[in-house]
Amino acid sequence: MFYQQKFRILSLFIGFIFFGLLINIYNLQVVNRENAIISVNQQTLDTFYIPAPRGEIYDANNNKLASSSLEPHLFLNLRKVNDENRSQYEQYLKYNFPTLDNEDINELFESNKLLAKIINIQNLNFDNRQSLSGLDAFEIFDYPIRNYEYDNIASHVLGYLGEPSLEDIAIYPASINTNIVGKSGLERYYQNDLSGEPTQVIFKGSEIEQIVPSTPGKDIKISLDVNLQKIATESLLQGMELANDNFESRDEINKGAIVVLDIETNKVISMVSLPDYNPNNFVDGISKRDFNKLNITGAFNNYPIQGQYPPGSVFKVVAYWLAEQEKIYPEGLSSRSGRIDCKGSLAFGFNDGSQQVYNDWKEGGHGRVNLGASIKESCNVYFWDIALKIWRDFEGTSAESILQQYAKNLGFGSTSSIDLPYEASGVVPDRNLFEEWSISQPERVRPEGWLGGDLMNLIIGQGAITATPIQVANAYRTLISGKISNPFINLNNEQESREVEELDVSEDFISFLLDDLNSVTNEGGTAHASFSVLGKAVKDVGGKTGTAQNSGDKNNTSWFVGVDSITNPRYVIATVVEEGGSGSAIAAPITRRVIQSLRGLELTPVKFGEITE
Amino acid sequence: MNNRKITLLGPEGTNLTLLTIFLILNFVSWLTLFTLSGGLSFNLQNSVFRQISFSILAVLLFFAITYVSLDQIYKYTFIFYGVISILLILLFATEPKEGVRRWFDLGVVDFQPSEYIKIGLVLFISRCITERYNKIYIGAISIIPIALVFFQPDLGTTTLLIVITLSMFIVSDIKTRNILSISLLGGVSFFGLLELGFVNSYQLNRITSFFESVDFAQSQSRLAISSGGFTGQFFEVDKVNQIFIPVQSTDFIFSAYAYQFGFLGVIILFGLWGFFFYRVARIILTTESDFEKFILAGFSASLIFQIFINISTVIGVIPVTGMPFPLLSLGGSSIVATAVIFGIINRIFIENNVVI
Repeated sequence: MFYQQKFRILSLFIGFIFFGLLINIYNLQVVNRENAIISVNQQTLDTFYIPAPRGEIYDANNNKLASSSLEPHLFLNLRKVNDENRSQYEQYLKYNFPTLDNEDINELFESNKLLAKIINIQNLNFDNRQSLSGLDAFEIFDYPIRNYEYDNIASHVLGYLGEPSLEDIAIYPASINTNIVGKSGLERYYQNDLSGEPTQVIFKGSEIEQIVPSTPGKDIKISLDVNLQKIATESLLQGMELANDNFESRDEINKGAIVVLDIETNKVISMVSLPDYNPNNFVDGISKRDFNKLNITGAFNNYPIQGQYPPGSVFKVVAYWLAEQEKIYPEGLSSRSGRIDCKGSLAFGFNDGSQQVYNDWKEGGHGRVNLGASIKESCNVYFWDIALKIWRDFEGTSAESILQQYAKNLGFGSTSSIDLPYEASGVVPDRNLFEEWSISQPERVRPEGWLGGDLMNLIIGQGAITATPIQVANAYRTLISGKISNPFINLNNEQESREVEELDVSEDFISFLLDDLNSVTNEGGTAHASFSVLGKAVKDVGGKTGTAQNSGDKNNTSWFVGVDSITNPRYVIATVVEEGGSGSAIAAPITRRVIQSLRGLELTPVKFGEITE
Repeated sequence: MNNRKITLLGPEGTNLTLLTIFLILNFVSWLTLFTLSGGLSFNLQNSVFRQISFSILAVLLFFAITYVSLDQIYKYTFIFYGVISILLILLFATEPKEGVRRWFDLGVVDFQPSEYIKIGLVLFISRCITERYNKIYIGAISIIPIALVFFQPDLGTTTLLIVITLSMFIVSDIKTRNILSISLLGGVSFFGLLELGFVNSYQLNRITSFFESVDFAQSQSRLAISSGGFTGQFFEVDKVNQIFIPVQSTDFIFSAYAYQFGFLGVIILFGLWGFFFYRVARIILTTESDFEKFILAGFSASLIFQIFINISTVIGVIPVTGMPFPLLSLGGSSIVATAVIFGIINRIFIENNVVI
């Protein structure tokens, strides 16, 4: 039974209560407004920010690469320190924390912050912590500690943390509060995701009025396989050791890169850059001196995406594709099986009357070679013939830069859009670029401008062209998969929405390409000496060597691009050793060892191969 | 019961006043959150975008619930009540988050059964009283979910559930004297539990510290409300930088509202809710179904108590209690549950042929 009468009385009662609330609000907003505004203007609220624990980073097999933990730290509330009690606090700190020297302590008291972080007190027992909190100006807060579990491994991918510069603050404005920002690698690229929301300590005068807890940063799972990363790093170091033993070089040969891409998805499975650094050393701040020491070795360069090298013969794959696609073969040939007679040099004349002789790396020449054999043995003459054909047919027309167009379609000359900062774009030279350079950088070009010889250089990956290891790896991956897409590392990212474009290549072309890459590592191929150790498996792997000449007295750049399997290609591996001397002797055996790991074969040490190109 | 003549908006009909008030209240919430977040952007981190997404879900739910007839509600009341109670028991098997077990983690969103026990309890008591079950049994069975919520622990919702139960009993034929004596007994045993340590000390601390010193958040909230003045600040965000209010988009949103829209805005908000309850009260007094009367009374008690506690907290007349303002505070669970309440009330309106 519902009692209407009781309901009416109750409603009236509630009405009165709300009328009371309304009067209360009226008093606040209208009657007492002036007083309130005065106290608002008088009150000074200040906020001190303590960074939130950064999101953790996991590899593809859920190995933790970068972890975050909260540890209690002692802070000094500087608003509660005055001339009278300062010496008391100084004494206390000196007595209880002998690791702090006078300079540290002075710095603490001179800080212009609200709270100064004194020391980690994780290992302090309960009684000592109690006695600390008895002192008025001491505060204890949890402070996040970043730890990179594998030290130097994948340091360039993960990046490191540091104090934000003015430029950093312009990009990541929130970093001014916590005074910490990702300086490179994923730590920087995903700064906004990883950083979370800091703890806010609200001060009213010298008192802490309110603490708003932090929101931890988001975790990131990445495509890297840390075990492969370790093996790749090790292999690259072994290869550099061999290069130093076998080649004369003014400086120590210690710069290089390895990129392993998943052919189907374009995930980065491994990305090694040497020399490397230990990001843990930056957690508590690194001295200017140590930083400079590292910097001068080039340790902060992420060579897989920042190292711009002439690609040499690994670039021949572009002309290989162009020849098949456009049916442009050396003069007189009409298919890939047609052969030229390579005598080891090429003499030719251009319309401008110039007469030149180009020498192949192999004295005496390769004999009768077709398209496949010219990849297998890395014959330059065959490709020069293609360049001559392009030049003679198209010089001065828009089709003149058809080779550059093909290169650009494979990603040369522009960044790969990988999710890492500071990627370099490399250079694909053409007539227009040379004209630009003749004004901006006249020392780089001859006064005659773009000539046929430049195209002949370009087709074998020499001259003004530069490419990054990731571009080279991605170009091969693009041809083998028939799909254009950008490489990526973060798996949480909405990668499904990535643009994937179909490339105009036929199944036939892909199997020809794979077979020809396979011939490189087999009997008679330039990399056979480095791959024969694989035994039976050598029949199922492939690659392309590259030895790019450098100007001045620098050694050749050593390149190798490998594919882990011909029947079921899953990974493309690009290896480069700066001043490594020879692609077939150094980069090839390094790549071979990475392929051994990818295929689950027994690992054998990197062994000096055969100097071919 | 199905003798409706006029319908508006769809085959089952919608009460236009109710729908309008529901939409305006949602809109007011977006506006207030907009001034707090400093803009709208299309990702779920942005509070305005989140609230709008939840509002759209809420409106859809409002219309969906309208299709459920009161006969059906009557029929499934016990099942609904039982299922939610079981979910409340299952919560104890989950991992506690910050010391409490309140949510099922469903990935993108959390599911909070205690929001739905507010509805379940109202329906349960309404049906029991309509069927004239023994009031002591009704009370005894009502205690079960209340106890489950108490041990989550969630003191705010526990109090709300007790208030719902008591107000529904008050308007029934139980003697007011009996209710008062039971409440007294309950109060005494609560302090008994306190002595035995069943209540977290932090909850007690909040109450005792209220009488010792002014809570910082509440003092700031009062300053913000005052700064609003009669006509409000209207999107002038920079002045509020000198005031700091935690959880301003959820539990303290009323202070942001009063700051932006002033006393005038407060009167409008009171007016909207007042008009809504006035319309509900009129149906309570005219409908012939006891089931409907008790449902409406129970839902009203639930909403009014939440608003009362929220405003009282924000203007600092009672200690801080984490109670959201219905339809104003940011939060999916609360909006969705309130949409269900509005949907059922709407159904009662149209079954009584009230469409405007």
